[in-house]
Amino acid sequence: MTLIRDRNIMLTKEERDRIFDEELMPHIDALYNFAYHHTLNEADANDLVQETYMKAYRFIDKYMVGTNAKAWLFTILKNAFINEYRKKAKRPHQVDLEEFTTYQDGEDTQLAGYVDMREELFDGLMGDEVTKAINTLPADFRTVILLCDVEGFTYEEISKITDIPIGTVRSRLHRARNMLKNVLQQYAESMGYKDKRTK
Amino acid sequence: DNEREFIRNKVNRRKVSPTLISSIKDKIRADH
Repeated sequence: MTLIRDRNIMLTKEERDRIFDEELMPHIDALYNFAYHHTLNEADANDLVQETYMKAYRFIDKYMVGTNAKAWLFTILKNAFINEYRKKAKRPHQVDLEEFTTYQDGEDTQLAGYVDMREELFDGLMGDEVTKAINTLPADFRTVILLCDVEGFTYEEISKITDIPIGTVRSRLHRARNMLKNVLQQYAESMGYKDKRTK
Repeated sequence: DNEREFIRNKVNRRKVSPTLISSIKDKIRADH
């Protein structure tokens, strides 16, 4: 059952604390992982998660109890991350230019191109290689693959979190998966796994 | 996508340190 609260009623301190502990804090590990994949270091990921929770508490009156707390928190984190990068853009030496590369997303046209990857090729890869491979993707592609394939958000939720149209989510996800397969294939082959099919 | 298993299962999932949780709660107590 979804409990919808009247937005005009201010919460008491006890209610805020209860919502914070019961509905928001359980998502902290997922948020931390998402943050870590974006900042690529522990200290910045901690700062980003802390900032996210501070903002969530400050705006907890805007949160509708019983709705999607996880998506709400991810949206806050994503915006905090973007703001942080805008600040860093004023100090260019701290910014990886690749993060700002723009891509021709295409609006949900037929998904052209498909990377075919055999199971036995990636079976030998470990978590570290998979994590490293995801981190080699440009930020926009990394984001959609983490939100969809790791965190299980729907296209609509991803569209709201990232503020891009659903069609773009879909095409970006398709490209991200192809990129990831290519990177994993290279890792697998460098470890001695061979795709024996004739191309 | 209801509109893969290898990625979902293999990706490293880190746990936040208890220190971070305490730090968030302390900061909220101090600010509010």
